[in-house]
Amino acid sequence: MKYSKRKKIDIFYQGIITLIALIGLFLLIAIFGYVFKQGSGLLSWDLLTSDYYATTYDTYYIGDLGDTIYERPSNLDDSVYFSSKWGIGLTSALDNEGKPIILVAYIDSESPLNSLPDKNNEGEFVRITENQALGKVIFSNYTIILSSEGPENAANLFNQANGIIDMITTTSGKGIRGSILTTLYLIIMTLVIALPVGVFSAIYLHEFASKKSKIAEGLRRLVEMLTGVPSIIFGLMGAAVFIPFTSTITAADGGNLISGALTLAVIVLPVIITSTEEALKVIPDDFRQASLALGATKTQTTFKVVLKSAIPGILSAVLLSVGRIIGESAALIYAVGTAIKDKVILTERSTSLAVHIWSIMAGETPNFELASAISIIILMVVLILNLLVKVVAKKLSYQGGKKT
Amino acid sequence: MKTENAFQIKQLNLHYGAKQALFDIAMDIPKNQVTALIGPSGCGKSTLLRSLNRMNDLIENCRVEGSVKYEDYDIYDQYYDVINLRTKVGMVFQKPNPFPMSIFDNIAYGPRCQGIKDKKVLNEIVRKALVNSALYDEVKDRLKEAATSLSGGQQQRLCIARAIAMSPDVILMDEPTSALDPIATAKIEELIQELKKDFTIVIVTHNMQQAARISDNTAFFLMGELVEYDNTDLIFSQPRKKQTEDYITGRFG
Repeated sequence: MKYSKRKKIDIFYQGIITLIALIGLFLLIAIFGYVFKQGSGLLSWDLLTSDYYATTYDTYYIGDLGDTIYERPSNLDDSVYFSSKWGIGLTSALDNEGKPIILVAYIDSESPLNSLPDKNNEGEFVRITENQALGKVIFSNYTIILSSEGPENAANLFNQANGIIDMITTTSGKGIRGSILTTLYLIIMTLVIALPVGVFSAIYLHEFASKKSKIAEGLRRLVEMLTGVPSIIFGLMGAAVFIPFTSTITAADGGNLISGALTLAVIVLPVIITSTEEALKVIPDDFRQASLALGATKTQTTFKVVLKSAIPGILSAVLLSVGRIIGESAALIYAVGTAIKDKVILTERSTSLAVHIWSIMAGETPNFELASAISIIILMVVLILNLLVKVVAKKLSYQGGKKT
Repeated sequence: MKTENAFQIKQLNLHYGAKQALFDIAMDIPKNQVTALIGPSGCGKSTLLRSLNRMNDLIENCRVEGSVKYEDYDIYDQYYDVINLRTKVGMVFQKPNPFPMSIFDNIAYGPRCQGIKDKKVLNEIVRKALVNSALYDEVKDRLKEAATSLSGGQQQRLCIARAIAMSPDVILMDEPTSALDPIATAKIEELIQELKKDFTIVIVTHNMQQAARISDNTAFFLMGELVEYDNTDLIFSQPRKKQTEDYITGRFG
């Protein structure tokens, strides 16, 4: 049996369409795979909790060291050299410029190095922790550690010494704790501003405004229009309106978190209004009528019955908004600034996670690895949020279906 | 003894936009009796029912002329308090429509909206409403459960209990048994007979046997007009109009 000519052409076209779809799918997977491969090496708890800027500590140790012999933990890697006298494990690494450095790989919890006096701040104490780089160390027996001589030599010198005259250590930095904090602040402040406004607008549109109302019509048009505006324009608006505004009412000077939150509030407002209105549409009129027939007022009906049933819809609006806030960069570059900060202050510039990526890639030496790691974090959070939205939406439709 | 009237309807005309739904309706609805409104679909009986507690206000383009007097006040007066009217004139709908809350909260909803917060008072109101709606024994141990977990008939009785909890004078029922099976229907009919001691009941029904069984007075509507309104026994035994006779004998409708 032979296929007809038309059938052959059909099979050919079908094949091409399938192929194009597969190429698209492959490209998507490849891009995510590449970012994942680049960044996954950096992903660690330390990345999330440490500062972006390296801090240098200057310390010393004078006093009785005691006879304690610290045991080398069995799970320590072979490349780590251990000083049983001080309870410190050292390993070699390369810094950003490719020079060899000595890294602290392990500190025993009983080690005196956990609490050393700070030379720079009288009365304060410094804790030597993992991943700090050893700078210069001068021991009381006048031996000196040089990072070029490697961790093995350094561990030996530690074992011979009874005191430290001067020790300089540097934290690794490149953490994103500050940017995570900024992002959290932005999420909370934006929702505090946008959620009430958005929900009340949706209630006005769907529950109170009459169908012929000009105000409602105008508001709907505006919401539709705002949904399509590129966020950089909102950023400009933030810079032009909200930065001067916040500078007048607070101590802020230039970009700050409050103006950022206000800008983001404008961006997510259409999302919240639309989702809430959709949720209100699903609620059967039966409930409103039953409530009104019981002598409840319009506002009682709205807040006690209607809004209560719309909570899943509002929740999904919140999740969508959070996703939008985490992913927003262009608007925030103007409204909050691009300066990466470890100490987040509401009236000062800082970066959200997305802008953090922009900042480290915009410099003279782009840090692609760190950017990828942050991208993975953002992707994960957005993915989880999207899944949550689906779960919540499913719950909403289930409730809707249960009503007779 | 002269029976007092709960409602006095005079020259009531009602329009939905350009379409007129009720024509010159005039009827008195006596207190503490069951008045049934019957007629084919679209004859205006539900519209009339809903104009008694002004639920038609919710429909845009709805225009009302004439007067409906409740306790000697015209409820279509510009300054009449609709919220207050609806606490006195309760309503039960065609489909059971309990709120998505617990059984207790459903019944306590109306009183709470009136500002009653005292837990003891609410408990007593809920208990009484459930007893009066013959639902108490079935749900007394599950007041905290979702009202949607009840069966259709129970849900409808819950809706009646919800209306009773407001201690109204009148209960309007819009085809309350049309979504229920015969057993649940029988229970509701039994309940209506009980309730009539304390409340004035106006019921819209498609089921003529039901009207004959439970009502004291029956009004027959056709095309937005009141054709005949009389004692139920008279309507069903010796209708004065041909149209009424045709309808109740099942020749049309």
